[in-house]
Amino acid sequence: MSSYVPGLEGIVASQTAISMVDGQNGRLVYQGYVIADLAEEMSFEEVAFLLWEGRLPNRAELDALSIELANHRNLTQAATTALDALPPDTDPMDVLRSVVSVQGVEHRLARPTIPLAIHATASFPTILAMFHRRQLELEPVKPRAGLGHAANYLYMMNGEESSPEIVRALNTYLVLLADHGMNASTFTARVIASTESDLTSALVGAIGALKGPAHGGAPSVVIEQLELIGEAGDPETYMRGMRKRKEKFMGFGHRLYRVYDPRAKILKEMCRRMNPKFYDLAARVEEIALRILNEEHPERPQSTNVEFYSAGVLQAIGLPREYFTPTFASARVAGWSAHVLEQAAHNRIIRPQSEYIGPEPRKPVPLGQRA
Amino acid sequence: MADFSPGLEGVVAAETAVSEVDGANGRLIYRGGYLIEDLVPVVSYEEVAYLLWHGELPNESQLDALSEEMAGARALNESARGSLTAIDAADDPMDILRTVVSAQGATKTLIKPSLEEAVALTAVFPTIVGATWRRRLRKEVMEPRSDLGHAANLLWMMNGEEPSAEKAHWLDTYLVLLADHGLNASTFAARVVASTGSDLTSCVVGAIAALKGPAHGGATLAARNMLDKIGSADNAERWLTEAHARHERFSGFGHRVYRTYDPRAKILREMAKTAAPELYTTAAKTEEVALRILHEAHPDRPNATNVDFWASVVLTGVGIPKELFTTIFATSRVAGWTAHVLESLSDLRLIRPASRWVGPQPGKKPLQLAKR
Repeated sequence: MSSYVPGLEGIVASQTAISMVDGQNGRLVYQGYVIADLAEEMSFEEVAFLLWEGRLPNRAELDALSIELANHRNLTQAATTALDALPPDTDPMDVLRSVVSVQGVEHRLARPTIPLAIHATASFPTILAMFHRRQLELEPVKPRAGLGHAANYLYMMNGEESSPEIVRALNTYLVLLADHGMNASTFTARVIASTESDLTSALVGAIGALKGPAHGGAPSVVIEQLELIGEAGDPETYMRGMRKRKEKFMGFGHRLYRVYDPRAKILKEMCRRMNPKFYDLAARVEEIALRILNEEHPERPQSTNVEFYSAGVLQAIGLPREYFTPTFASARVAGWSAHVLEQAAHNRIIRPQSEYIGPEPRKPVPLGQRA
Repeated sequence: MADFSPGLEGVVAAETAVSEVDGANGRLIYRGGYLIEDLVPVVSYEEVAYLLWHGELPNESQLDALSEEMAGARALNESARGSLTAIDAADDPMDILRTVVSAQGATKTLIKPSLEEAVALTAVFPTIVGATWRRRLRKEVMEPRSDLGHAANLLWMMNGEEPSAEKAHWLDTYLVLLADHGLNASTFAARVVASTGSDLTSCVVGAIAALKGPAHGGATLAARNMLDKIGSADNAERWLTEAHARHERFSGFGHRVYRTYDPRAKILREMAKTAAPELYTTAAKTEEVALRILHEAHPDRPNATNVDFWASVVLTGVGIPKELFTTIFATSRVAGWTAHVLESLSDLRLIRPASRWVGPQPGKKPLQLAKR
């Protein structure tokens, strides 16, 4: 019997050519390109094409993809009706999980394809914006075909176009978060796809996994924690008190990176430019947190993760904090669907083993005779 | 670099006391150490759900309390009803189930998985499946009956009439048999979702999504479709020989784990004789011929009938339309899914495996758009 590895840490579950997390050197690589070379140069659309097709698009291909995305921003009637049936105070991640599920119903058990990936990716911002408008008791805003993916998302959320700087920041965020190796939500999507289930099913499962605070659910918690620290007077005293109470610092540590997360580096710089108030506190908290964590575990490589400065960037973009994780999903859907396509192309059902730790076989007692 | 085992075959991804598939000896052990063939004659589905959740079989008062709690949780909430009616009745019942469960469990804030929620989710599956079928028939959706057990209520909600004791019993036995099965793909999906600290609904929705796949939960329907194509015992030899010559897979045969006859298939096979005598005759002949052909082709492989093959015959005898087979499977397995999630909470650790890079050498520089 092979031995149990908690969390499958270090166990290779798939071969992939989509992205690689090189934790030793602090590199994230999409299809051969280092993230720092893509982040501020490429549109989300170009990166989605890269993840799906394995190469960057030329002008004609990018135009075709942009048109295809723009043409699939509207929700189906069923999805709109289901969205309207959810109470306005529902967690937007639950809204996304439910409405993506309805939106995909028309495809039944279709084999995953790039067009289906495009259609799903196009629908995420619409679902979120429609629900946000409903929460505010405002009319939904129709998608605008002339706007790119990031710009249109903000336009549908706010009812007006955002400044180029804000759009560019959201675009960079979407590029940075579009894929990240065999993370838990991507792995969920691949497990689902491995049963020959459909793309929608895989995406719905991935959304459910991303919702967890140990995965995508952290950025809004980062902000809440920073607010508490900021209100407390002396941050260091407060933070040492937190550790005494066994509270976790949010936004630190990652299973794979042994050095600074390359995405966090870019987001930190964006934060410094766009959200100085957040940055001043966050940079101070970061310095103290890393110092305390290093005192506690000098043997462990402690570093800031992508969630920490994501929070400040998304706040500067003007997104409400309940929409931080769903916006993460709107980026990652490109990666999820690329992984589903790859899984479907080289499929083998993912069915690991478990080790039984229960009692040895015994006979059941009939109901009337049980204590 | 660690070895790569495609499909994680042979890799231990969890420790569990919920169930154990002892493939070498053809044994399925449920929580508490009970062999499936020992449980079937003495327990109902509700008792097995209790067992999987608590680790012990319930006594009479515990069972009454659970039955009452489940009967009280059968209704759909407003969000779920809204989703159900939004979807076309002709759409895939698994898509309907995935969506309506998602809506039923939509909440304002993230709720940690609990036993209470496991009971409530399990209770609502028959309501969704029943309503799905009634809508497809363009008939009035039935209200759940709190005086009926889990299996009988499911048939009531589908058919609008109380089932015979026999049919309710056959379905109940099917539900007992399928309630858990080690770390299968859907259960594993649920555990991966749970490992992020997500909520129980997200875990169950992910599991439904995985069960939908033809290589997993869809196999019962595939087995029945094959039997439909064969049509009669007389045709089995010819059909299977031709299908084999076309390199078609026989649905309902083979399993990654069992090296002997699946103990659940054995029980279902016996029940099928009375539940669906006509289809049984075709199925028995099909099994005989299929196993012979498979053995001749691969004498080295342990080829045995799997649970899907005989489940498709028994469910037919119960009067379940084949379009609903996978949703009925889900209706059973949700007890196991939720038990696994609850078990994993005691030592929650993010499931995040590694991947092996097979892409281009990192570091190539992107060309400007205009130069591509």
